Amino acid sequence: MPPVRNGIPNRGEEDEVCPVCKSSRYLNPSMRFLINPECYHKMCESCVDRIFSSGPANCPVAGCNKTLRKNRFRTQTFEDINVEREVDIRRRVMQILNRREEEFASKRAYDDFLEQREEIIMNLVTGIDVAKTEKDLQTYASENVASIRSNQALEREEASSFQEQQTFEKEQARLRRQAARQEYEDERREMLAGQEDVLRRLAAGKRDDAAAIAREGQKVLLKKSSARRSEEDRIRQKQAALRSSDAKKSGKAVTASQATGDTGLVKGLKKIKTPEPEKPYSPFAGFTTKRDYYTLRDFYPSSYLEPIRNDTRMQAGGFDLGEYYSRTLLEAFAGLGCFIGDEVSKRDPTSTLGISKPATEGAAMAAVSTSIANEETA
Amino acid sequence: MIEDEIYRKSSQYRLWSFTSESLQSLRVTTNALASDRVRAAQRRAREAQQAANSSTSTPNPSDTDSKAAEEKTVDCLTPEEEQDLVRYYCEQTVELGERYRPPLPTIVRSTAIQYLRRFYLTNSPMAYAPKTIMACALFVATKTENYYLSLRQFAEGLPDITGDEVIAPEFLLMQGLRFTFDVRHPFRGLEGGIMELQAISQGMGQPAPHIPNQTSEDLRQGLLALPPPPSSSSSNLSIHDRLGRAHTKTRETLKTSAQMTDAYFLYTPSQIWLAAFLLADKPLAEFYLETKLGRTEEGHPLHELRMKILHTVSECSALLSSYKPSASDPEQMKKLKRIAKKRHHCENPEKAGLAGKKRVPAAAAAVGTPGISGTGEGTSESDVERLAKRRKVEEGGSGSEMLVDRSREDKPQDQTDQQQQVPAEQAEGAAG
Repeated sequence: MPPVRNGIPNRGEEDEVCPVCKSSRYLNPSMRFLINPECYHKMCESCVDRIFSSGPANCPVAGCNKTLRKNRFRTQTFEDINVEREVDIRRRVMQILNRREEEFASKRAYDDFLEQREEIIMNLVTGIDVAKTEKDLQTYASENVASIRSNQALEREEASSFQEQQTFEKEQARLRRQAARQEYEDERREMLAGQEDVLRRLAAGKRDDAAAIAREGQKVLLKKSSARRSEEDRIRQKQAALRSSDAKKSGKAVTASQATGDTGLVKGLKKIKTPEPEKPYSPFAGFTTKRDYYTLRDFYPSSYLEPIRNDTRMQAGGFDLGEYYSRTLLEAFAGLGCFIGDEVSKRDPTSTLGISKPATEGAAMAAVSTSIANEETA
Repeated sequence: MIEDEIYRKSSQYRLWSFTSESLQSLRVTTNALASDRVRAAQRRAREAQQAANSSTSTPNPSDTDSKAAEEKTVDCLTPEEEQDLVRYYCEQTVELGERYRPPLPTIVRSTAIQYLRRFYLTNSPMAYAPKTIMACALFVATKTENYYLSLRQFAEGLPDITGDEVIAPEFLLMQGLRFTFDVRHPFRGLEGGIMELQAISQGMGQPAPHIPNQTSEDLRQGLLALPPPPSSSSSNLSIHDRLGRAHTKTRETLKTSAQMTDAYFLYTPSQIWLAAFLLADKPLAEFYLETKLGRTEEGHPLHELRMKILHTVSECSALLSSYKPSASDPEQMKKLKRIAKKRHHCENPEKAGLAGKKRVPAAAAAVGTPGISGTGEGTSESDVERLAKRRKVEEGGSGSEMLVDRSREDKPQDQTDQQQQVPAEQAEGAAG
């Protein structure tokens, strides 16, 4: 819906007239104009109070049938109502499309995203395809609630940390200025005191000493000032070091963005790296004690093994009849279902002895035949 | 099945399991290669002799005759003859184990037999005499099966062979085994099966994981209701005695026929013991398999598996029952004597002196080590080194030839190991 343009020409602050009640600032200097972002029609505060106090009502400007609410009215920031409107739209779109650069696979993808966002904003501002664009925005917003919220939080955090940084730096600058002023004062005071001292000594001393005393006073002053300067340098360096470490601490890494895949609107986002679902823990890396042919018992009756069970000499060495049982039973069935006749012929032919033979056989034959040939020629 | 997966990880499955066709073709290839090499080597030896003769003396007329005679004798073993020979030496290994006091455990002997069988899959008896390899295999088996015997003790039990001769082909044997020493035997599996059957007979049977509705009482009743084995004379045998008898019989089969046939190459240990058990007591073996896989009807996956296992096991038992010890058959013995003679004629002359060559560094080390007690150690050590060096130089021609020869037989990756062979053997010689 294209905005209804405010047809009233700007005639300056003085004779601004409320388009609704026609009262002018000239008569009422305290008059404030308010606008509603619904239609951006300007009206005075008293009109807003009068019309919208009892609930939502239609815009009183002729031809504009928008329903307005009182709580949405606000003062105009920019003089040009079009700028005001664009800023509002921009803010709204940026709040929804608030992807960050680190979420994109490449710089190029991020630039494309910025361009797309700008296009959407301009579409809304100039009223091209508004319905479709709005719909896209709404679906995107509903689909990416989580990412929008997290990015907003990040932004807020950044803004606040930036503010902190700013105030910190300001404070530092103030302290530095103060120190400099203090230092200047000190120096001045000392110089005056030194001069006074020299004068006093000159007054008290003999005539011949005058030049010497003057030189001495000068030297003392110089020494003091140079000592102070080196001291100051040291302190300054220390402060600089402290500042840089502070900066490092405050500039903490931005937490990694939640990886989200490409959404319908925004392209070129980093692939979602869903972590591999953890496999159930297997202490022997997949080795199983399950068996297919037999179920192992704790005890098997055997007159042959019975003495071992009761022989402490055997038990002391760690011999375990259970091990014997499991081993013998495993060997009883290991390979029962391996049909060598079928399996070996299917096997990789190079791995068997028999098939690798002919390759070398040819060479051997050749060697033999050449040696025979040699003998025949000899 | 999890147990099968565990077995599939073993080197026996990965490297030493064959189909009967691939086994056959491998043996034929090995034999053909060895025969070619024997012929070539014999020809070379003759050439050298001839060259020596012609340089020293005038060629005599008998030369051509002897050449023709030798040409005729180059009659190599066939793959079947080789196999018979190897089987004979497998039987000899069992005999050899008996000579010790106490006799070597069955498992050591069986492992040695399997080493021998594995070694002669890729090496021919024409190249390496089975007699020396057999002793070495038995010695290696005492080590891998954790039955310690010192080399001296071991050699004492052997007729006319010294310790050095025993360990001379050790590295060669290990190479032939592709450095896989693990042999999965069916013996322990048999113990497990009998143990479980005993438990079932006493009403302590556990249901198999795939048939959870079995009860131990059902199992017991099933076991007691079994028909007696067809071969047994006394039908009213207690179940305990019946199990014991089947156990003994199965074990006997595993000790003999399972070792002397190709069962280890063609079947898995659990199939082998079940096959032997089937020979000993068929109803019992079938009942045991049924308790594990259920008496399920057609179409069920367990049924398929059971049928397939039964088929494989009966094939294996047919193979096991086909074995007849050669000592019991005079015809066979005669044949073996002929083969042994033939082997002696067609032995590769370049490989014959294997043990003798290997003994040089060992002897040198033996000479060197007493130096610790008396004379300076440094000199003796330098002696050893000098001997080793000289040996290397001497072998420069033939040694490299041997290297090439053997790398043809073994996998190419073994070549690097081969080159390290000389120092390794010296170390072993010193240790022995």
